[in-house]
Amino acid sequence: MGETGLRRYKLVFLLPGLLTLLAIILFPLLFTIRVSASGWDAITPELNWVGGSNYATLWNDVRFWQSLARLSGMAVGTVLIQYVLGFALALLVWRDVKARRLFRLLFLIPMMTTPVIMSVIWRTIFHESLGPANDLLHLIGLGPYPWLTAGGWAVASVMIVEIWQWTPFMFLLLLAGLISLPREPFLAAAIDGAGPIRTFLNVTFPLMATVSIGAIMIRLIEASKLMETVYVLTSGGPGTASETSGYYIYIKGLRDFDIGYAAALSITYLVIMIILLTLVGKLLHRVLVGGRS
Amino acid sequence: MSLQINDLTLAVDGVTHLDGISANFERGKLTTVIGRTLAGKTTLMRAITGLQHLDRGALQLDTQNFSALPAWRRDIAMVYQQFINYPHLNVFENVAFPLRRKKLDEAVIERRVRGVLDKVGLKGFEARRPSQLSGGQQQRVALARSLAREAGILLLDEPLVNLDYKLREQMRSEFRSLLAEQTQTIVIYNTTEPVEAMLLGDTVVVMHEGRILQVGTPAEVFDRPASMQVASVVNDPPMNFIQGHKGESTLELAGGVCLSLPWHLRGLTIGEYWFGVRANELRVGQTSVTGQVTFSEVSGSETFLYVDSPLGPLTLQVQGVHIHALASNLEIGIPAERLFAFESAAQRRLVAAPATGAQL
Amino acid sequence: MSKLYTFLKYLAITLWSIFVVTPFLWALTTSFKTANGVTGGPTYLPWLQYEPSLSGWKSLFSGGGGIDIVKPYLDSLIVTASASVISIVLGSLAAYGLSRFSYRAGFVKNADLIFFFISQRIMPPIVLAIPFFLMLKWLDLLDSKIGLILVYVALLLPIAVWIMVDFFNNIPRQIDEMAMLDGCTPLQAFLRVILPNSLPGMIVAGMFCLIFGWNDFFFAFTLTFTDTQLLPVAVVALNSSVTPWWSLSASALISVAPLLLVAFVVERYLSHGTLAGAIR
Repeated sequence: MGETGLRRYKLVFLLPGLLTLLAIILFPLLFTIRVSASGWDAITPELNWVGGSNYATLWNDVRFWQSLARLSGMAVGTVLIQYVLGFALALLVWRDVKARRLFRLLFLIPMMTTPVIMSVIWRTIFHESLGPANDLLHLIGLGPYPWLTAGGWAVASVMIVEIWQWTPFMFLLLLAGLISLPREPFLAAAIDGAGPIRTFLNVTFPLMATVSIGAIMIRLIEASKLMETVYVLTSGGPGTASETSGYYIYIKGLRDFDIGYAAALSITYLVIMIILLTLVGKLLHRVLVGGRS
Repeated sequence: MSLQINDLTLAVDGVTHLDGISANFERGKLTTVIGRTLAGKTTLMRAITGLQHLDRGALQLDTQNFSALPAWRRDIAMVYQQFINYPHLNVFENVAFPLRRKKLDEAVIERRVRGVLDKVGLKGFEARRPSQLSGGQQQRVALARSLAREAGILLLDEPLVNLDYKLREQMRSEFRSLLAEQTQTIVIYNTTEPVEAMLLGDTVVVMHEGRILQVGTPAEVFDRPASMQVASVVNDPPMNFIQGHKGESTLELAGGVCLSLPWHLRGLTIGEYWFGVRANELRVGQTSVTGQVTFSEVSGSETFLYVDSPLGPLTLQVQGVHIHALASNLEIGIPAERLFAFESAAQRRLVAAPATGAQL
Repeated sequence: MSKLYTFLKYLAITLWSIFVVTPFLWALTTSFKTANGVTGGPTYLPWLQYEPSLSGWKSLFSGGGGIDIVKPYLDSLIVTASASVISIVLGSLAAYGLSRFSYRAGFVKNADLIFFFISQRIMPPIVLAIPFFLMLKWLDLLDSKIGLILVYVALLLPIAVWIMVDFFNNIPRQIDEMAMLDGCTPLQAFLRVILPNSLPGMIVAGMFCLIFGWNDFFFAFTLTFTDTQLLPVAVVALNSSVTPWWSLSASALISVAPLLLVAFVVERYLSHGTLAGAIR
């Protein structure tokens, strides 16, 4: 009581968006759960019932768990590298640099491009005999390297492309954060005679804690869906060396048409991801900000 | 026309913001609400606007059940302490905004807006944006907007608190004349400063921890504060409080300081009391008690002295500039005839007050 | 000491700039090649190492190994722009509600609702692809722009909400309140007062929606075939050993060009400080 009339309007604001989202997402989610308890192959029109047998198979599916581990490693690895590079780049073009606006523009460009399309180009770059990667490395006496045909190198290629593509995203968020920092702590540090490293550790980094967490979490969420780059660059290969969970589920569902199993994989994957990402989020918050989330 | 508020109550997370408040605000009168920060002044205003959740309570405007109206249908204008204006509109449109919502005639809007802007001293500023104005000017735009509306109720929530000292004094007198013209409006003005409350108000409401402690004219509240709490809120610098004992015909204060019993305390029953004396009524040089200066502060043409004494810490406000070294001894005279007496029981209500007149 | 520091600074900037620019330069030079510029090993300099030709670029408009670029461009534009606008409108409304009011339904509160919106982004496209396929089939919207717009709204709405909630939280509540006291209903306060002051936030939200929408591959891939064609799908379809590299490169370059405009806008807002307040 007291805030007369406001109650009616509360719903006017929230519901259009919420209901639209629910309407579009709810059916797919429920349907996937139902399909995961079937052996559907998209050809026979009815859905049978196999209970939890898909999930039992999944439990023993080494290939899936390997892909999950691989994905986690790649996601965390690329996001960490993107964070460090992105922060370094943001600090470099923050102040006192000539043509800094030009460099800022340049550094932003990769994230604006279509990832798949750029992957197509990268595939030509990493081509072992016809592409410039090995050719240029040869000039400084390195290589040739089996970029797309050997296990570890395939993973490295995918990671290089991801880092090229998404470091600008970190760069943008971190630079925006740096620009909106207040001047006073820096003046105080300068007066106290702190050098660049000291200032960074004791002033810049702590002040950027919230922005850092936001940027890392958003990138982790997006990186965990890693599939398109793998599809174009290596097709998960050689063998399954660069296969991520997303790619594996794609194969099972849209290539082998073992849709019931793919659905079970999807649901399991979704639940694991939500739990992991929430935990990481809370952990980051405690470490970088301290105290309640 | 009057606004009645009844039993307004609000508690959040165990903290009481409003404790069953009831009061009456008359049309044509300016009521100042004075209290420390977190006394509930702002919550009270927000409750009147209808934008604040309440646990309990009713509002009535004359015979109309005000509580049933949503905020946008109540005829209330409000000036905030944070210089709130519409950032995307220029000064003219800012002031005209509520008038356009009421769909008034363009000519009427034009006349009223220009008239009000002239009155607050912002003639010629019509095309500027709020971001291009100084704090004082922004606040004038906010005031202009609330005056142009000719609303039934005008609320001002510590409007001068974010301005610097000199500007505050200047605008205080401007506000006084502008608000005095609002004979058709119920005006409520929040403040923490006794000076503002006494200067502007026809009626003063003293609030503390969500309760109303006293309602009266400035003179009443100042000369006869209902309790020690009220006395500490309406005096700046704060009143000095000293414990003491009233005997048959003696007055003995803490630390063994004895004074002759003044006539206005003769009627009190024998017992323990709290006595209060204003900072500017303690005399330097007379010898009721001796203390050590712990701090001294020269402000304009006055000196504030903070002293440790057998009676406890004392604050003195002395005319003129006086230099006293730290830890030096100071002879202080306590004018017994200027003492307030408050009961020792929890409420600390006033039981005796000195004759009125003189310092205000 | 600081001379060394400055040198290292510019060195680092230069190295990264080279890394950024490399794929574009390579694609650019490759787009002007013909068979002998490719099959003998990588070449870089026109006229010196290979004979430049426009066949890669010509194929964009007439087939012959490349893609017909016009239709995918238009389709991508219509679908992305529509989905972005709808997402921003619905998203801003929801974000404003989440910023100003406190909702409660059982144990679900504001923070949970915001988490719900954002967690939609965790869904891997696979989880949604087949059900979306069936859903669109049932609605007879497969291979159509409208069907795809519907799907994209579900994907972009969370982004709009995420950005706008933060933005609205930074506008003092007193402005809304004052608008209401001045006679606006909450909806009018939102439309007349809050929105005009939210342009920077909406531009940021708009840009992210454009970026994520224009660059989607997977859903366009699974849900459209011939009637509707989006750019990323069209280009990746060329990623076989049959397509000559020069057509591939030309198609790729022309497809990523439009969003470079977005990069300009972003940089300008960033350097003028408005963006910094909007993202956080």
